[in-house]
Amino acid sequence: MAEVAATLASREVGVKLKRFDVHQIIQHGGMAVSFVMLVITGLPMKFNSWPVSVWWAGVWGGVGNLRATHHFFAWMMVIVCVYHLAYLLYTLLILKRPFPVKMLPSAWDFITLFQEFKYFIGLRKERPDYDRFNWREKFDYWAIFWGIPVMAGSGFVLMYPVFVTQHLPGWLVTVAYVAHSDEAMLALTWIFMVHIFFAHLSPGVFPMNTSIFTGKVSREQYRREHPKELRSIEGETPQA
Amino acid sequence: MISKVKNSRLLLFLLVGVAVAGIFLLANQGKALALDENNCLACHGNPDRTKQLSDGIVISLYVDETGVASAAHRFIDCTDCHGTAPHAEASPLSKLSLAEKCGTCHAYEYKQHLASVHGQQLAIGNEDVATCVDCHSPTSNPHSVIRVLESNSPAYKKNIAQTCARCHQNSELMGNYGIVERVYESYMRSFHGKAIQLGATELSQLSQATCTNCHGVHDIKNTHDPASPVNGVQNLAVTCEQCHPGAGEQFAAGFLGHREASVDNVPAAHYAENLFRTLLISVISFGVVVVVGAVTRFSINRWKD
Repeated sequence: MAEVAATLASREVGVKLKRFDVHQIIQHGGMAVSFVMLVITGLPMKFNSWPVSVWWAGVWGGVGNLRATHHFFAWMMVIVCVYHLAYLLYTLLILKRPFPVKMLPSAWDFITLFQEFKYFIGLRKERPDYDRFNWREKFDYWAIFWGIPVMAGSGFVLMYPVFVTQHLPGWLVTVAYVAHSDEAMLALTWIFMVHIFFAHLSPGVFPMNTSIFTGKVSREQYRREHPKELRSIEGETPQA
Repeated sequence: MISKVKNSRLLLFLLVGVAVAGIFLLANQGKALALDENNCLACHGNPDRTKQLSDGIVISLYVDETGVASAAHRFIDCTDCHGTAPHAEASPLSKLSLAEKCGTCHAYEYKQHLASVHGQQLAIGNEDVATCVDCHSPTSNPHSVIRVLESNSPAYKKNIAQTCARCHQNSELMGNYGIVERVYESYMRSFHGKAIQLGATELSQLSQATCTNCHGVHDIKNTHDPASPVNGVQNLAVTCEQCHPGAGEQFAAGFLGHREASVDNVPAAHYAENLFRTLLISVISFGVVVVVGAVTRFSINRWKD
């Protein structure tokens, strides 16, 4: 045992810290897969007049197959969200873990956003002293809390327009069409422009940040991205 | 027993036979194969053949042989429509008299057409509107009418919207009749238009809704006519229900009527558009600022190193 500890200590540079548990890895994976599938089956239906959409719909064997696949992954995304909420309740009620207050938006996020802009334009030497989640990670997380009800709700109306209008007013279908289309453009532009850039393409993580797939982050990377949290972790359990 | 010499001779015959058949097929490609008992095409197949009318106007007497050969009526003789003594008539058929002539065989369709908005306008001498060949021939030419279930027919399911659009997308022409809706564009933005455009196979396209499914075919009515299947939300609901079982008036009430949403036309959709456009533009602009800022800073850092 002493040998193992010594080996670990000598490879301090290669130390990995656990950041996500297996449920969080599965939730992100399920969300990513269903999101990409919904985008590639939804876009040709929105931009139906583009020749590339006609070609792509043909590859799938027509709009019927596109819609069936879109509906399948829509249910998958809803199930992932239900899984996430169930997991949250499980950690709170069964495991008696504290509520994850570090994910809640706070005034500190606006301060770090301001600090980050100052860093970008050269008025600040260091990036902000981020805790467990930076403002972008929180934005991504809470955007889903707004986006899923809009997308799943409007999607349900568009899937069952006859059933819905038997109980609710007809303008809901028209509104759902507008909301589904525009909110989808918002989500995919944000994910592919901001999320993919900061999570995978920016310096330090390029070409890919594997932490959400393995659950582990190197100590070096932790110090760069979440310095405040690292100090609190290591304050509790000092490094040997 | 066949000798080796005979074998090679048989092979030669086969090759020559295939070559002759191939040349024959290629040479006859697209050749007119229409019934022409009185040999009318000998003269009228000449593109330069014209006639000067008494008022000095020159008209073409040319009949395109390839068009006739692929037409639905290729085995009906010229004289069936033009009479047994066509040269004795001043002008055998015109836009206004054509439908009646088609009606001598297609009596049911002619009767419906007479009661339609197009037929009623033709009856009072208006040549703006569509008659039989405007929808059944790709070139509005009675000599090249194509059967509805052939995929190059303008009345074939996936082509119908474009055929209607030949007139209904002309805003100047439509303006004369107070039709301001951009019907073709709004149809192509709708689920029905998308289903036709992305249908991939012609079989799946046949079951999708196009203009004629809601507005009627030969009996098409003005939408303000109480007899139109799309007049008022009650008629519209009945029409929707043909394909959407259980669809009621609320289902029909969400339809924008080929118009943009506005404060007078499904206002909820108008406000939803404004809300989501504002949200989209503001959030994405913010995202662009963040990414551009970051890219600039990271590039400067790299350059300094």
